[in-house]
Amino acid sequence: MKLPGLSENRILSYAASRILDVGPLDYEEALALQKKIVAEVISGWGTETLIICEHPPVVTYGRRTLQENFLVSFDELRALGIGVYPADRGGDVTYHGPGQIVFYPILDLRRRGRDLHFYLRQLELCVINALRGRFGLNAYRKEGLTGVWVGPYKVASIGIGVKNWVTYHGLALNVATDMAPFETIRACGGDGRMAAIASFFRDEDLPVQEVKECLVESFREIFFQTDGRPTP
Amino acid sequence: MIHVYLPDLGENITKATISYWYFERGAAVTEGSDLVEVATDKATFNVPAPCSGTLVEITAHEGDVARPGDVLATIEEDTVTDGDDDDREINATG
Repeated sequence: MKLPGLSENRILSYAASRILDVGPLDYEEALALQKKIVAEVISGWGTETLIICEHPPVVTYGRRTLQENFLVSFDELRALGIGVYPADRGGDVTYHGPGQIVFYPILDLRRRGRDLHFYLRQLELCVINALRGRFGLNAYRKEGLTGVWVGPYKVASIGIGVKNWVTYHGLALNVATDMAPFETIRACGGDGRMAAIASFFRDEDLPVQEVKECLVESFREIFFQTDGRPTP
Repeated sequence: MIHVYLPDLGENITKATISYWYFERGAAVTEGSDLVEVATDKATFNVPAPCSGTLVEITAHEGDVARPGDVLATIEEDTVTDGDDDDREINATG
């Protein structure tokens, strides 16, 4: 399948499910791509898809985001080279930028139990398993909150949208992200201090690609069987 | 009249906040189109219109908290017009 506007699609698997690693992609384009695939999956003709990408600097916010969670004006953000974009997802304001791995799973929850919170917990588990297994980080979730933490720092943010029980939006894991732009917002409504996992290693050149591969493997184990079919 | 209910969103989800109405009262809606967005935790969920018709009443407003099974709105279903058309044709030719 050729996807308009994307010249470097890398199809890692193609069966009842597929993984599209599209590399750097504007937030707006990523949202359009998600909505296109969501509509296909809702129709019954689409393929469940994990979109993997990395955004240029952008601050996104949900419908319920409070003005007080912006610590600078939109104009100031733009002057810093940071885009601003409203998002129809759960969660509050957050920042995306280079060095951050973004997963947008388009999954059909009609075949997966129709449980929004269970799905949020599965996304957390995907990150926790990846960080604990290969990298030995004591990643964990916090009761009553959504996301993944290492020590006192939140390293992954999660926010989803669901349309006719088909998911979009997803998770963002800070691997080697410049965390300075997070100072311009109260990220996720103030769930705590944010950090990139590279900061937990002496060598700050933690390869994003290696983390991505671990995260993909973890995702496959939780959501896709090896033949690409959804895990029951 | 068809009621729009907040569906069961999962185990242990006892409530959701109405975050956005895609239509105002009195608007024509189409079956399956996004009608209202609700939010729980870090998730939003679009409740689709269960039928085509006119949105005659909104019971749960933006910012309100609803529970699964609560009525969010009422839609007056479009009536089937085939029979009426036939009548008109008969009258016109009679």
